[in-house]
Amino acid sequence: MKQIFVDIDKCTGCLTCTLACAAEHSSSKDIVGAMLEKVQPRISVEAVNGKAVPLMCRHCEEPTCVDACMIGAMQKDKETGIVSNENNDQSCIGCWMCIMACPYGAIQPNEEEGIAIKCDKCNGREVPACVESCHTGALIYVDGKTFAQEKLTKTAKALTEAS
Amino acid sequence: MSDCKTCPSVDNCYSAHEAVNQMQERLDEMGVDTVFTRYEKQQPQCGFGMQGICCQLCSHGPCRITPKASKGICGASADTIVARNLVRLTTHGAAAYSHHLEELAKTIKATANGKTPYKIQDEAKLREIAKVAGLDLNQTANELADQLADVILSELRKDSEEPLALLELFAPESRKKVWRELGVIPGGVHSEIRDALTKTMSNINTDPIDLLLTTVRLSIATGYTGLVGTVTLQDILLGTPELTESEADLGIVDPDTVNIVAHGHVPLVATAVLQAVESDEMIKYAKEAGAKGIKVYGSMCTGQELMQRKGTTASNYSGQLGNWLSQEHHIATGAVDLVMMDMNCSIPGMKSVADKFHTKLVSVDRILRMEGVKDNIDYVPEKVEEQAKELVKLAVDTYKNRDKSKVQIPDHKSAAVAGFSVESILGALGGSLDPLLDEVKKGNIKGIAAVVGCTNNRNGHDSKGLTIMKEFIKNDVLVIAAGCMSSGAEIEGLMLPSAADQAGDGLKAVCKALGVPPVLNFGSCVDIGRIGVAVTAIAGALGVDPSQLPVVASAPEYLEQKAIADGVFAVSFGLLTHIGPVPPVTGSPLVTKVLTEDIEGLTGGKVLVEEDPLKATEKMLAHIDKKRQGLGI
Repeated sequence: MKQIFVDIDKCTGCLTCTLACAAEHSSSKDIVGAMLEKVQPRISVEAVNGKAVPLMCRHCEEPTCVDACMIGAMQKDKETGIVSNENNDQSCIGCWMCIMACPYGAIQPNEEEGIAIKCDKCNGREVPACVESCHTGALIYVDGKTFAQEKLTKTAKALTEAS
Repeated sequence: MSDCKTCPSVDNCYSAHEAVNQMQERLDEMGVDTVFTRYEKQQPQCGFGMQGICCQLCSHGPCRITPKASKGICGASADTIVARNLVRLTTHGAAAYSHHLEELAKTIKATANGKTPYKIQDEAKLREIAKVAGLDLNQTANELADQLADVILSELRKDSEEPLALLELFAPESRKKVWRELGVIPGGVHSEIRDALTKTMSNINTDPIDLLLTTVRLSIATGYTGLVGTVTLQDILLGTPELTESEADLGIVDPDTVNIVAHGHVPLVATAVLQAVESDEMIKYAKEAGAKGIKVYGSMCTGQELMQRKGTTASNYSGQLGNWLSQEHHIATGAVDLVMMDMNCSIPGMKSVADKFHTKLVSVDRILRMEGVKDNIDYVPEKVEEQAKELVKLAVDTYKNRDKSKVQIPDHKSAAVAGFSVESILGALGGSLDPLLDEVKKGNIKGIAAVVGCTNNRNGHDSKGLTIMKEFIKNDVLVIAAGCMSSGAEIEGLMLPSAADQAGDGLKAVCKALGVPPVLNFGSCVDIGRIGVAVTAIAGALGVDPSQLPVVASAPEYLEQKAIADGVFAVSFGLLTHIGPVPPVTGSPLVTKVLTEDIEGLTGGKVLVEEDPLKATEKMLAHIDKKRQGLGI
């Protein structure tokens, strides 16, 4: 199952991913329209000592947010693996339990609408909008095994070059 | 391009023009990037920039206004950042227009002293303007021209505190009153540019309202110097446009001749080149190289200028290839030997295409340089006769390298009528605007729409502009086109009398009676100044302010900074001004509201932002109806 992975060295902090995310989740489907609609992005780019760090939901195998959701709105789809509080039998009531439970801070409150919002991997989009929009290749959409293997290869290569 | 219905190239549809799509296909196969493909690679584009809320002035930046940060590091709000960015864009437009006017004034001066191959073509206009400017008319044309050039040069340079005399002389009284009350009567445009640039340095002027007024002031200064001033001097030097017929589109390229393309905005070098190609020496030189002859084509506004001047350039000008977005595609025919680039709008992408063929690019303006281009023959009025010969020889020498097997010329072309101006319209109407105004009063012509300015890939090459023009004429609104929009209309046959068949019954009848097209070719983008003169004349004839007229302006595919100055000038002039794509102001609620709503209470004009061409036309038609009601017609 494909996940959104981050190659943190490549992120320049341009925030294009946040705009693309907002556009995808807006009614206009374009960036300027989303900004005017004030659509909240579901991916965050935090700064640590000036270094940009993109963060989004990991769609965990054992999601604590799902366990914490007392109403049952937050579910992990068995087929797609997407963790979402939208389009399920129960509706989010804005109790923020999931926000407390998530170890990554990947869920944000939408205070105006009183619901929690989070990454839904663009709900069936072939490549999530944030990944597609990334100019530097810092966001990658692959399965865990591929990403891990690439990382292994890269590390092995670096070790050879160092010796 | 969902709204494009003008050509059958569905699978490869970048442009409203079939010939451009064909050349795009060719370049795709060759693996050469163009504006169209580079545009795709730039997607998605930064929303902060598109909203105007990115500030890169100081080294604390770049700062962006985000939900987390409502102010820049210095404390500047979104309103300040947007307004400041807008002034800076307008300043660029004002500067470029001033350069154009300055080149002309210097050329007129050199011509008056017998040092150029040009001759004063419109002495009547020279005397008319000289009279208004208070010059002693008891002098020869050359003496007057020399003095008028001095007047213009001093107008450009005078202090911002000293009111612009050109505005005093040419603006309607009712407008002057409005501008005086707003405190936006400008001085010399160079000083205005200095003030505007100083104000927009970080932390000098951070008041969004004052910055917006600076934009208005700068645009009015541009209107009466770079627009009206330039048009007037060009007419005096090269002749006032007269009705004439030409051709447009890539099908006009002759595979058997040496082909020179005049590309840009300032028609001075091109005019000298058109004189040079007639000489026996040059014709002999071309024939020795194996060519049938030498042809000069136009691209963008330089072409429009050449096309409309019957007495000087139109007679041996071979037609208009296209506009901004197709400049790379002209070269892709493989039959262009030399492109003479003057002033603005020569894109670096042209060089990449030229490198795939034999084509040589040459700058003919001291301010233009392009990466990889080594030939620069910078225009000097006193030397232009020799420079023109040098350029023609260069074209012939380059022609020898042309690979005939690589020539591919699309077979699309259209005839087009050019040369509309206040004078030529008066000529066609028998010396008075009344016959035209009577048709407006009777409602056969509901109003006039100036569809002007650039072309822009964001909306699909020319498709929005053409849709709007067609919609207007269908609704009996007479269209005046200038700039890249003119090229688009020429290529699609809208500038032919037969296009009246596409107009509503009222406009159709008027066009048929006068034998004119429903879309009038007012020439280049600087000829927006000519539209200003026309609207002033109409308002004068009716004894009303321009803001009361059933007249609208639309720059449906605006691209660069000169267009920002044009657009703000039109709003300041009192016109509803449709601008597309959305300018980078939406990040500021204040600036957006002022430009699209509040300014109407001050100048009578405002910006209309509407991306859908049909909805935009609907709103402009409603505005025309409202103005008709206001006038009781």
